[in-house]
Amino acid sequence: MTTTDQQPEAARQEMQVDIICTGFGPATGGFLTTLSRAMTKEDGTPAFESKVMPGMLPQVICYERADDIGFGVSGVVTKAKSIRESFPDFDPAAIPMTHEVTEEKVVYLLDPVGASRRSWLVKVADNAIKLFKWILPYRHQAMELPWMPPFLQKHKGIITSIGQFNQWVGNQLMMSGAVQIWPGTPVAKPLIEDNKVTGVQLADQGTDKQGNPEAGYTPGMDIKAALTVVGDGPVGVVGRDLDLHFGLPEGNHIRDWAVGMKMVVDLPAGCELKPGTVIHTLGYPEPEIFGFMYVYPDGVASLGIFVPSWFDNPMRSTYRYMQHWIQHPYLWRHLEGGTLRSWGAKSLQESGRRGEPFLVGDGYARIGEGSGTTNVLTNSGVDEAWESGVQLADAVIELLEKDKPFTKENLDETYVKRRRASWLDSESRIAQHARDGFQKGFITGMFTTALVGMTKGKLFIPFKAKRPHDRIPTPEEYYKGRISAEEIDQIRKECRSKGLTLHDRLMEKAGWPEIKNDGQLLMSHQDILLMGGKVQATGNYADHVTFVDPRSCAQCQTLICTEICSGQAIAPNPEGLGVVFDREKCVYCGACIWSCSEANKDNPEYSNVSFRAGAGGLHSAEN
Amino acid sequence: MSTGFHIVVCAGIVPDPLQTLEPVSGPQGWALKNEMMLPACLDPWASHALFEAANLAKNVSDSKVWLVTLGPKAKVQQVMMTMAQKVPFELVALDGAANGFTDAAETAAALANAIEGIAGLDKSRLLLFGGWESASRGAGATLQIVGERLGITEQFQGVDQITIKDNGAMEILERVEGGSHQVSECSSAPAVLGWATGNLPEPPNNSQIGMQNMRLIMPALQKAPATKIGTADIAYKGIELPKQQRNTRIVKDVPVEEIAREIVDWLRG
Amino acid sequence: METILYIATVEKDGSLAKGALEALYAALELKSTLSGAKFVAGLIGTDVQAAANSIAGCGAEKMLGVSGSDYSQARYSSDAAAVTAFAQAAQATVVIAPGTSRLNRVLPGASHRLGGVADLHITSLSADGSDLTVVHWHYRQRMKAEYQRKNRPWLLAIDPGIYPVWSGAAGTASVEMVDVALPAVRTQVTGFHTPSADEQTIRPEADLLFVAGAGWTKKQADGQTHTADAERYILGFLKATQASLGSSKSLVDLGGEGQDVLGFLTHLNQIGQTGATPRHPKGLSTCCHGEEPHVVGWRFVNERRAINLNANCGWAHGKADVLYVADAFEVMKKVIELL
Repeated sequence: MTTTDQQPEAARQEMQVDIICTGFGPATGGFLTTLSRAMTKEDGTPAFESKVMPGMLPQVICYERADDIGFGVSGVVTKAKSIRESFPDFDPAAIPMTHEVTEEKVVYLLDPVGASRRSWLVKVADNAIKLFKWILPYRHQAMELPWMPPFLQKHKGIITSIGQFNQWVGNQLMMSGAVQIWPGTPVAKPLIEDNKVTGVQLADQGTDKQGNPEAGYTPGMDIKAALTVVGDGPVGVVGRDLDLHFGLPEGNHIRDWAVGMKMVVDLPAGCELKPGTVIHTLGYPEPEIFGFMYVYPDGVASLGIFVPSWFDNPMRSTYRYMQHWIQHPYLWRHLEGGTLRSWGAKSLQESGRRGEPFLVGDGYARIGEGSGTTNVLTNSGVDEAWESGVQLADAVIELLEKDKPFTKENLDETYVKRRRASWLDSESRIAQHARDGFQKGFITGMFTTALVGMTKGKLFIPFKAKRPHDRIPTPEEYYKGRISAEEIDQIRKECRSKGLTLHDRLMEKAGWPEIKNDGQLLMSHQDILLMGGKVQATGNYADHVTFVDPRSCAQCQTLICTEICSGQAIAPNPEGLGVVFDREKCVYCGACIWSCSEANKDNPEYSNVSFRAGAGGLHSAEN
Repeated sequence: MSTGFHIVVCAGIVPDPLQTLEPVSGPQGWALKNEMMLPACLDPWASHALFEAANLAKNVSDSKVWLVTLGPKAKVQQVMMTMAQKVPFELVALDGAANGFTDAAETAAALANAIEGIAGLDKSRLLLFGGWESASRGAGATLQIVGERLGITEQFQGVDQITIKDNGAMEILERVEGGSHQVSECSSAPAVLGWATGNLPEPPNNSQIGMQNMRLIMPALQKAPATKIGTADIAYKGIELPKQQRNTRIVKDVPVEEIAREIVDWLRG
Repeated sequence: METILYIATVEKDGSLAKGALEALYAALELKSTLSGAKFVAGLIGTDVQAAANSIAGCGAEKMLGVSGSDYSQARYSSDAAAVTAFAQAAQATVVIAPGTSRLNRVLPGASHRLGGVADLHITSLSADGSDLTVVHWHYRQRMKAEYQRKNRPWLLAIDPGIYPVWSGAAGTASVEMVDVALPAVRTQVTGFHTPSADEQTIRPEADLLFVAGAGWTKKQADGQTHTADAERYILGFLKATQASLGSSKSLVDLGGEGQDVLGFLTHLNQIGQTGATPRHPKGLSTCCHGEEPHVVGWRFVNERRAINLNANCGWAHGKADVLYVADAFEVMKKVIELL
C-alpha cells in the first residue's frame, strides 16, 4: 500500500482483479462479449477460476470515464461484419436509432455563399459543374456523384448510434454477471513496473482544480491485474501514456487526426428522406471538410462534419463550420423546421495502421481505435475495433485455458498472430497510404485515395505526414489578401480582452454570413452544449486539460485550441496571456491535443496540451 | 439486544437533469418521448436519502441499508452501475414503469409490499427513507403512503438533518416555510423520513464498494418481479409543455446608470 | 355529488395565514362551480374559535374543529389523525387544504387511512358540471398535467400564491368539535431554527425574486474575486427591496468546485430542477447564465429580467423579458444607491 505525497494520512488503497479494461467502446464491447460467453461452461459452472479470488469467476472490470456507458459520441455507418458474427441473430430493430443501409450517395457541395477558400483547381471543377449543370445530376447547388467507389460502399451494413449500441451491448454484459462495467470512473494512468503493466491507478477524487487534496479527498485506488486491456480510444490516457512510455514501432506515428462533430435531429414533418439513407458530402463549407448524414427510423437523422488536422486553418471552429454546412441548400431543404435532439464531438485517429502502437507487452494488450484499427480508405472504424476486441478475447480465452501468463510473448503468439492473419490487418495494409495525399491538399488527397482504393493499395504516393503543429499558419498568413494584418491584430486585441475566440469575427470578415439562431437547429455554442450535449461535470476532480509549458501558450498567436474547442471549454485568458480551461464545458473530444500549434518541448510528436481522463462531459446517449 | 437501524431507502429513477422532456400519449398511456433512451439517474432527493442512510448506518453500529426501487430493469441496472460505487446497500428491485404519469398510491402499494417481503427486516428498527418528492411525478405522496401501509405513524418530510442523541432519540430537522427548519425529537424507530437535500456531499466512486454491492445487485435485478403500476384511477385530460418563449429585449451598450434606473423603475412599477 | 371539506391549520396567534385563505377561496370557487356540491370547513389548532369567527361568512354548512395542546405543533401523528377525523365527520369526498409544510406532510397518509387518494402541489381546480379537474405540474414543473380521479375522498393541497386571498365577512362561528383518537405519540416538536430577520433571505410572499448566480463569486475583470463586495451588494439589495433570494446552484456544489461561496446561501435558496420553484410576480437574475435546469424553477415568476455580461446567454433566448448586458456588480451598486 502506498500513500500520496501531498497527504500522507490519506492512504491510496489497492485492489486486485484479474483483468482490467479501460474505456467502454466497441472494441471493449467486442472483447467483453466474447470473453463473458466463454467464462461459464454450458452446464453453468465456471470455465475458469479467478487468481485473486479463488473459487470465483475471474474478476473482469471495465472502467469508463464518461458518466454512462451510452455517452459515446458517434453516429456510424458500418458493414458490421464482425458485429454480426458475434450476434448471428442480430436484428437492427432491437437497437434504437439503428437501420440497415438502404441507399448511399456521395454529394459534392458547391459554395452557395462565396466565402469558402477554394484552390484554383477546385474553382475550375466548380465552374465546370456549373457550366454543364444541365447535363449533370446537379441540383440545390450540389452534384450527386453518379457512382460510388466500391471501397466506400457499406451496402448491407447498418447505420447506428454508438451511444445506443454501447448501451445495448453493455446491458447484456452486465446481465451476464460475468463482467462489471463502471462508468463515471476515470483512470489516472497505467501502472508500469519494470516495463510491465501491472494495472491502472484511478483518478483522485476530492481535489481542487489543481489536484490538491480538499475535504473528502479520496486517492484513486491502484487496481492491479495480470492483464490490462487498453481500449480507451485515440485520446485515452492509458493508451497515450503507453505510447509515451514505450514509444511507437519504428516508422509509425500518429499525425493525422480529425474531429467529428454531429447533431441528432428530429427531421421536419414531411421530410422525404428514407430510413437507411447515407449521404457523404464533400466540397463545402471548405473543400477540406467532409460531411455525413445517416437517416434513422422514425424521422431522425444523425449528421455532421469532420475537420481534419491537415486543414491548415487556425480558425477551424468545427461548430461554426457545421452551422454553415447544415444550411447548404442541398441539406437545408431536408432539415429546415427540424429540431435538435442531441449533439457531440469526438476526435478520430486518422493515421490508421500507420499509427499502430506496440499491440502487446507484458501485462497489457491494445485494442480498438487507439491500436490503429481504423481503416482510412473505407472510412470504417467500429467494426474493425469490435473485431480487434474479439480477437483479443479469443487469445485471452486460449491463454486462460492453457493457464499461461499474459506476457508479451504469449500475447504475441495468440492475439497479435490472430490479428495479423485476419481481414482486419490485410485491409488496413491496403488502406495505409490512402490519406497521404491530403498532406498536399484536397485535390491531391482525393486523387491518392482513389489511386489506393482502385489499385487495392498497390499504387500510392508516399507523401510524408507533417506533425499537426508544424503546419498551422497564423491568422495573418491564412487570411492574407482577405483581411489585413492590422485588422486581425485589432480584432485579436478586442476579443482576447473579453476572453472571446476570434473565429466568428474573422470568418464573418472573410465573407461567411452571420448565423441567425432559430433556437431549433441553429443556436449559440453555449446552448448546444446544454440542449444537445447536456454537458455537465461534477466537481471534486483535478482539471484534466492542462498546458505543459504556460510560456508557450503565453506567446502563442493562434490559440487554435480555443478556436477548435468543441465545447468552448478552452478560452483565451481575459486577464492576461494564454488560455483558461473550464472543465464543466469539456466534451472530451480531444481536438485540443492535436490542434495545438506549439510543440511539446520534450517530445516533438506531442503538443503543449496535456489531456488526462476526468469525469463528466456529454450526457446524451443518442450520439 | 441490537440497537442498530434497519434503513430502507425508497428511490426511483428519473431522467438525468439536463435532458429534454416531452410527454407523449400512446396505447400504453402517457410516457416521455424516447423514454427508454433518456439517460437516467437516481432521483436526486432520494439519492440524498441514500447517502444519509449510508452515513447513519456507518455511525450507528449494527445498522443496515436496503435500497428499494421500482423501474424498468434495464434502466435500473444502468443507474446501479453508478450508484453501486457510492455507498454500500442491498438492492430490492421491482421491474415496472417508473415515469411521472403513474399513480403514487399504486407505486406506494408495490413498494410497501416489497418492503414487507425483505427477509430479516426488523420493523421495530425500521427507518423508511426516501426523497420528499420525486423529480418525476412530484406528488410528494408516495413515501407517506408506504409508511402508512407499514403502520408507521411518526413521519417527517423535507428532512435536512438527523442526529442520534445519547438516549437513542432522533433529532430531526424538517424544512418549513420561510427558510426555517422545524426541530423535532422522535423517541425511537420506526419512522418515515422524506429527505430534501440534507447536508452530505455526494460520496466519491469507490470500486471496492461497487464490487461488493454488485454481487447482490445483479441477482436482485435478475429476480426483480414484473410489477404493474398503472394509472387506473387517473384520467388525464391532457399533458403539455408550457409555451413560455418570451420576446427577449436585449439592452446592450447602455450606461450602467441608465440600466440601474430602468431596473429601479421596474421594481417600483 | 361532492362534499367539499376545507381544512386549515390555525397560526399561533389564532389567525389563518395567507395561504390558508387562498385555499379557502379556491375551495369556495370550486363549490360554486361544481354542481350540487356541499361545503364544510375544518380547523386545527390550539384554539380555533377566533379563526373560525374570521371566516364565519364563508357559508360552510358546518364548521368543524380540533383543538388542544396536541395541535399546537405541526406533527404527523396528531395532524394525520385530525385530518382523518374531519374527513370522516364531514363524509367528505373532496378535501381542499393549503399546501403548507404542515398539511403536505399529512394529507397523503390521511388519504390512505380514508381509502382515498391525495395530490399535493395542485395549481388549479376547475369544474365541468359535476366533474372536478385539477392541474399538477410534473417533472419539476416542466409539464402541465390536467386530470380527474375516480377514487374518493380526494385530498388536494393547493400551492400558495395562486388563488386570491378570501376576504369575506367575519362573525361568530359555531364550531363543532371533533373527537380524535390519538395513537401513542413518539414525537415532540422542540423548536425552530429560524434565520434572524437580518439573515432571512427566503421570503415566499415577496414581490421580487432576486437570483444570485455563480458569477458573483467568480473572478471579475481585474482577475480577482470580490466575494465581500458581492455579499454587500446582494444583502444591501435584499434589505432595500425585501426581495426573496434564490441561487442558481447550491452552496455545496460551488464549494465542492473550489469556489468562494456566499456565506448566507444554502440549499434552501436553490431555484430550479433540484431546488425550489417559487411564485413571485417579478424576478431579477444576476450573474447567472440562464441554463434550462435553473430556469425551470422560474416557471411561476411572471416578469423576468436578467443582468449578464454575455449577450448570448440563456436569458437572451426567450427566457427573460429583458436582458441587460452589463456588469452586475456595477449595476447593483447603482441600483442600491437609487433605492
